[in-house]
Amino acid sequence: MFRVPFLVALALSVAFGLGIASAVQALKTTVGFGVIALGPWTAFPNAQTASADPYARAHRARQGRLLYGGAEGLQFIASVDSAGAPLEAACAYEIAGQTPVARFWTLYMTDLQDRTLTAAPELPTALNSWTALHEGDGVIHIRLSAAAQPGNWLALTAAGPFRLVLTLLDTPTAGSSGLIDLGMPAIRKLGCGSHA
Amino acid sequence: MRSVAYAILIGLIGAAMLHIVLVLGLPRFSAEDAYSRVLGLFEMDSFFRLTRAPGTTGLSDDDPFLRVAVCGFSVAGGPVRFSAGGDVPFWSFAVYDSTSNEVFSMNDATAVQRKLDVIAATPRQLTELRKLPSDALGAAILVEMRDPEGYAVVRAMAPTQSFEESARDFLAKASCETFRAEN
Repeated sequence: MFRVPFLVALALSVAFGLGIASAVQALKTTVGFGVIALGPWTAFPNAQTASADPYARAHRARQGRLLYGGAEGLQFIASVDSAGAPLEAACAYEIAGQTPVARFWTLYMTDLQDRTLTAAPELPTALNSWTALHEGDGVIHIRLSAAAQPGNWLALTAAGPFRLVLTLLDTPTAGSSGLIDLGMPAIRKLGCGSHA
Repeated sequence: MRSVAYAILIGLIGAAMLHIVLVLGLPRFSAEDAYSRVLGLFEMDSFFRLTRAPGTTGLSDDDPFLRVAVCGFSVAGGPVRFSAGGDVPFWSFAVYDSTSNEVFSMNDATAVQRKLDVIAATPRQLTELRKLPSDALGAAILVEMRDPEGYAVVRAMAPTQSFEESARDFLAKASCETFRAEN
């Protein structure tokens, strides 16, 4: 005799449970469509515009961050290395290669909640195109490790997973899909734990 | 058994509808989007400099080399003029509407004499502005706001510690005020 109420309750719980869970999961895992992926680096050049898709809009409304306008810059984020393994602060990495054309770039690290990682003031945790050492042909080599390194070095002090944020400021590539042809620096894992 | 399968099927259709409603409706109802956060600073018509640690509204200065200031504004009571100038290696400026869509953005390389001078106005106010003698506006760039409310973001670059002061100075001098043409 409780058949009909049971069926109604089943339909409602499936609708609300799955509907809410799938929406929350979709907004957590994806920033939307229109991604540009260059190796491990990803960017969303249209996320701040009116032409962003509904997922990108919902995601940015939930994040509430100040995004970069088209003429300001383009932000690339990497949470994996070039081999696809998640970035871990217990490992050592080398970023090597050329950055796309831009007037400036900045590189810093964040945790998975997008909070900028900091360390003691005497340790470098961020670099920009003025402070980084470039080789003769414009190639940069940046070491990320807990132990100090010669050349460009970023200190990995906190434990756990992290992300790399490379912001290209005033880049002609921000508005064009021609970005696909450009190269981004590779992120190579050098070793983990005591081998780092 | 068949009625249970029907109930699950109807539940799945309902879940798909709810998913669409939530994703489409979230930008409208979110109290945590960038515009609501800018309004939460209770600073209208002036640039508010963000700090490294997230403030009460959760907005923060994430990039270690960029100092950021925001200004919530409305052109309903008249056009708003943004101006700034100073000795920084790079600055950028962007205007967003109340749904956080980009309306206009520029950087120092595209500015006249590397100074920021932008007037945001409604389409009707723009026609009034264009009737003014040209020296009243100077080299100001006119931006059309279809949505009268919005916010503006100014970023100033400090690539090394020694530029920190000029970047701070640049943001302190940046203004975001209702524009009144002198007659």
